[in-house]
Amino acid sequence: MTSPIQHCKECVDLLGEYIEGTLPADRAKALEDHLSLCPPCITFVRTYRATRKLCRSALAREMPEELAFSLKSFLTKNVPGFGCSSDAPPGKPDGEPEKV
Amino acid sequence: MLYGPRPLEDNATTLAPEEPRADGQPTDRELVEKAQKGDGQAFAMLVDRHQRQLFRLALRMTGSEADAQEVLQEAFLNAYQKLPLFRGEAQFSSWLYRIAANSALMRLRRKRRAPDALGEQPLELAGPRFSAEGYLEPTSTSDWSQRADERMMSGQLGDAINKAVDQLPEDYRTVFLLKDVDGLSNEDIAQALDLTVPAVKSRLHRARLALREKLGEFFEGPVK
Repeated sequence: MTSPIQHCKECVDLLGEYIEGTLPADRAKALEDHLSLCPPCITFVRTYRATRKLCRSALAREMPEELAFSLKSFLTKNVPGFGCSSDAPPGKPDGEPEKV
Repeated sequence: MLYGPRPLEDNATTLAPEEPRADGQPTDRELVEKAQKGDGQAFAMLVDRHQRQLFRLALRMTGSEADAQEVLQEAFLNAYQKLPLFRGEAQFSSWLYRIAANSALMRLRRKRRAPDALGEQPLELAGPRFSAEGYLEPTSTSDWSQRADERMMSGQLGDAINKAVDQLPEDYRTVFLLKDVDGLSNEDIAQALDLTVPAVKSRLHRARLALREKLGEFFEGPVK
């Protein structure tokens, strides 16, 4: 049997994994049992979730179309056969791969 | 702190599982095998598939769209040149993230960009307050989550979020942005930034707690 969560601190410590769904089932159950009895922790979970959502809305960035276009142009110029089926294997122009 | 570049090694000890794609398109592994035989179309598909996430990684690490563009060019060219050495023992995406992260680090090093160069002191990683018994203090438990949307419309909240995130220590900020804003997996972040997955989780959680405190101050006023 899993040990119960007695204090809010333990609940907060587990919250990151809980909201991502990666907390082991027994600890998730213990955390939910604590939440059912602890209104301050329910509020904490709501504001923790809201923090992620708000930041995502405010800070999300998409790759600009013109950047995708210039990348494609660059690779077309520098990668032999880019975008086409070709027989030339990748690597250095002389066919020798760079040692890693 | 700035992370140091790591050698490009495809040295996972077990074969990374790769499920068939739900959209019926070839998997990364299938495309890599074709690209290794000289199929430029397959390489172009890999670029198309991964360029957006790589852009976000480069943007978060360098802080500049112009630098991100150059990192992307360098990373994909580098990946093409090293493709014969990729043995498929790690996920292709992880391998690619590492190449891009190394490229971003080299660029930062050349520019000697000072972390937090905007003159703001890094945010001390604040968090909730607990009583001696481990219970949440009332100052940590005000529920502002329902009021967020209308305030967001004004732009004030967006400014507050930008400021709070800018003030996070760099190594916490990058992890937070890559995970919660850009949606990279913990594993890919760990691979790109040379961290362990538990370290990624820990930084992420602490960054979220610090940002939550800042947002609480925005809605409720500073904690007395």
